[in-house]
Formats: sequence, structure tokens, C-alpha cells
Amino acid sequence: MLFFRRKRLFIILIGFIILVGSIGFSLRDREELTTVEEFLHDAVGWFQGVVHQPVEFTTTLVSNINELKHIYEENQVLKTRLSQYNLLLHEVKELRKENDELYSVLGKTESESLNEFIPIQASVIARSKEQWFKMITINKGEQDGVETNMAVITGEGMVGKIYSSSQFTSSVLLLNGFDRSNRISVVVDAEETDKDPTGFIVGYDEEAETLLLELDEYDVEVSEGELVVSSGLGGVFPKGLEIGTIEEVAPDKYGLTKVAHVSPSADLYNFGHVIVVDRQATIPSEVESEPEEGEE
Amino acid sequence: MQRFYLPSFVLLMLILEGVALDFLPQFLMDKDLLIVPHWMLLFLVLIAIYYDFENTYYAVLYAVIFGLMIDIVSTSVIGVYMFIYALVIYIIHGLRKVLHTNYLVAFLLAVLDVIMVDIGVYIIYFFIGINHMQWNEYMSVRLVPTLIGNMIFFILLYPIFKGKLMKWSSDRFDSKRV
Repeated sequence: MLFFRRKRLFIILIGFIILVGSIGFSLRDREELTTVEEFLHDAVGWFQGVVHQPVEFTTTLVSNINELKHIYEENQVLKTRLSQYNLLLHEVKELRKENDELYSVLGKTESESLNEFIPIQASVIARSKEQWFKMITINKGEQDGVETNMAVITGEGMVGKIYSSSQFTSSVLLLNGFDRSNRISVVVDAEETDKDPTGFIVGYDEEAETLLLELDEYDVEVSEGELVVSSGLGGVFPKGLEIGTIEEVAPDKYGLTKVAHVSPSADLYNFGHVIVVDRQATIPSEVESEPEEGEE
Repeated sequence: MQRFYLPSFVLLMLILEGVALDFLPQFLMDKDLLIVPHWMLLFLVLIAIYYDFENTYYAVLYAVIFGLMIDIVSTSVIGVYMFIYALVIYIIHGLRKVLHTNYLVAFLLAVLDVIMVDIGVYIIYFFIGINHMQWNEYMSVRLVPTLIGNMIFFILLYPIFKGKLMKWSSDRFDSKRV
């Protein structure tokens, strides 16, 4: 009997060692997933995609019926807006033409610019059951051109970035799971000053449900309601992705920098379809690694 | 053929967990409650109670294999669910030797099981630094809603699978003994 107890204790201890070992293995910074992980992601992702179809059908049916009630009012509002848009459209066309001309005068092609990107359409097939991880799974992977660290947006604005990608599915880290290790370089679209203040999104405040924006300079004027967009200077995200609006500005706890609370424009809980943003402008480090890809 | 039934149902539970959050009504999400589906675990409890004998450990085996799959598929830290599921199911397996199995006991074991797993996961993630929730907040925001949500599921799951599991168990193990 004593022998069996000892054996049991032994197994639990071995289990504990495996636990610590595998946690250590997965917590270090990994560039890519192992083949086994990729396979499991894809296999489970495929099943989840199948199961998700009927589920999504019924949930959208219910919400569609709810929306039907408000359709008439919305239609009236939209009709009045539409007439204003024609005017705006004309103005945009003129400006774009002028812009093109000016670019050609400068001798600079626009495809180099930071705000160009290829959109990759994807559907959400699952949410992580462990909600502390703020991750969702989408049905596009490396085969469709999705790579780690690409930005993920919905029609309303940015929702997150690709955390890891396997062949046919990828995991997205939502904005509310961001921390200092995945910062976004942003600009605030200030109305009064000519020079837009810049800064970094450094994290998420769980209680206030806002993103924390650390401004680069202390004496800039930033006021409530101003739009925050990505600046394209961080390396991975293109320029001009809408992130949120400023809610509140306060000095940080040491009084050295200003921290603004930014409420995200996109709804981070309710969306079924996303766009993965493949930035066109190359990053210097990627240029170096391109010959290696050619060899494969 | 019959030996594939069990793992495929466990896998089905794992897959359903991923889409489980779509079923939740919107007002629950707005209140910032964290409801974590532990459906696969509840199914493993049923296996431990009604399928396994004292000397067979299928529930523990499935807990290790499919716990690892949960780790890989829905979290970025490997090993946490594998360890906790296996340990808790092993404890349940040991407890059922002592207790007489009926509906009430199964229900209480499931309650105990969900509580142990969720607190275990909380403690490990707290030490790694993934969640920064204080104990009181955790109790009200996550533990209680998770427990209620999972017990509703268990009440639905129990009548569907109890008879089937006992039948599969007798089919499998009795034929060996004869």
C-alpha cells in the first residue's frame, strides 16, 4: 500500500515538473508555432468552422429581427445624409486628383506610402474559452497570406493583431489584451494645432475599459473627443487605421508624461467578420529576410 | 467501433466550447461577467463516474490528452489545463469509490470539480502574471457566474449521457471478463 502511495506522489510530482517546463517553453518569445500546434489549431479550427455556421445563422437571425424595428427611422436619416455625400464625393475626387498631380511633380510613387495595404477578408470561427487571453480564432492562415503581427480591423476600426498564425487558421489578440510588449504608434488628430501630437498605446485599463495612450511630449494640447489613428511608424501597422477617441487626459503617476484614456471605436465583443491588414510598405528587416524566402 | 464514441464526444465538447460564447445573451457580456465554459470537464466527470471502474483510468487519460488540446487551441500557455484537468479528474475518480453514485452525488461532484478547476487555473495564471484580478473580484466576476452557467449545462448533459455511458461501459468491460 505504501508503495502505491509513493508511486502516486511520484506521478503528481512528475506532472508538476512537466507543467512548469511547458509553461516555461510557451512563455518565452516564440516566432512561430511548432508543427504539432499548427496541426491542432487547423484541425480544431476546421471543426469549429463547421459548427459555427448554424450557430451564426441563428444568432444573426435573432439580431436581424431586432434590427427590423428601427429600419424605417434609420432609412430616413440615411437618405438625408446621402445627398450630402454626393457633394463630399466630388470634393474628394478633386482633392485626390490634385494630390496625384502633386505626387507626380515630386516624383514619388504613391505605392510606397505607409497607408497602402492589401485587405484579407476573414470570418471569426471561435473565441478563446479562457477569457483572460482575449483571443479569437479566424479562418484564414499562412496559406492566405496572414502573418504574425498584422493588424486586424473591422469596419469601425482596429480590433487587434495576429498573435500567431498556422496554415489555415490564425489567432487574433484583441486590443483589450495589449500590453507594453505590443505597442501601437499613434497620432492624435488634433483640431487646433497644426502639428499632431504623437504617442504610443501602451496597454488597456480593465476598469475604465479604455486604452492607455502615452503621449510623447508633455506640453501638447489634447482634448476630449479627438480621433486617435495609427501613425504607421511602429513598423507593422499601416498608417491611418482608426483606433479610438480620447476620453480623458491626465498626467501619469510620476508626473513625467501625459496619459490619455482612449475608448476603442470598434466593438470588441460583437463582430463576425474582420479584415486582416497586409501592409505594403516593407520593413527594413523584412527586406533582408526576403532572399531566404526565395530559396525555399 | 464503440471505443471511438467516447473520444469523439469529448472532442465535440471541446469544439463546442469555442463557439459557446456566441450562445450567451448580450446583456451578460455588457455586465463584464466572465463565464468560462467547462463543458468538456463536465463530460469527463460523467465518464469518471459512470464509465470508469476502480481500476480503469480512461477519464484521466482523456483529461491529459484533451486538456493539452485546450491549452494549445485556446490559450497561449501550454500545460495549465492539462495538469489541472488531470489532477481534478483523478481526485473525482478517487472520491467516487467512497461515495454511492446517484444524481445528487454526481451533481455535487461536478460542482466541486468546476470550483477546483477554476480556482486552480486562477492561481496558476495569477502566478504567471496573465490575470491581475484580486480574489474578491474574481469570486464575484468569474467564479460564481462560471459555476452557475456550467451547472445549467450539467443538468442538460446528465440525462442525455448517463444511460449511454453505463451501456458503453458494460459493453466494453463485461465482454472482456467473460
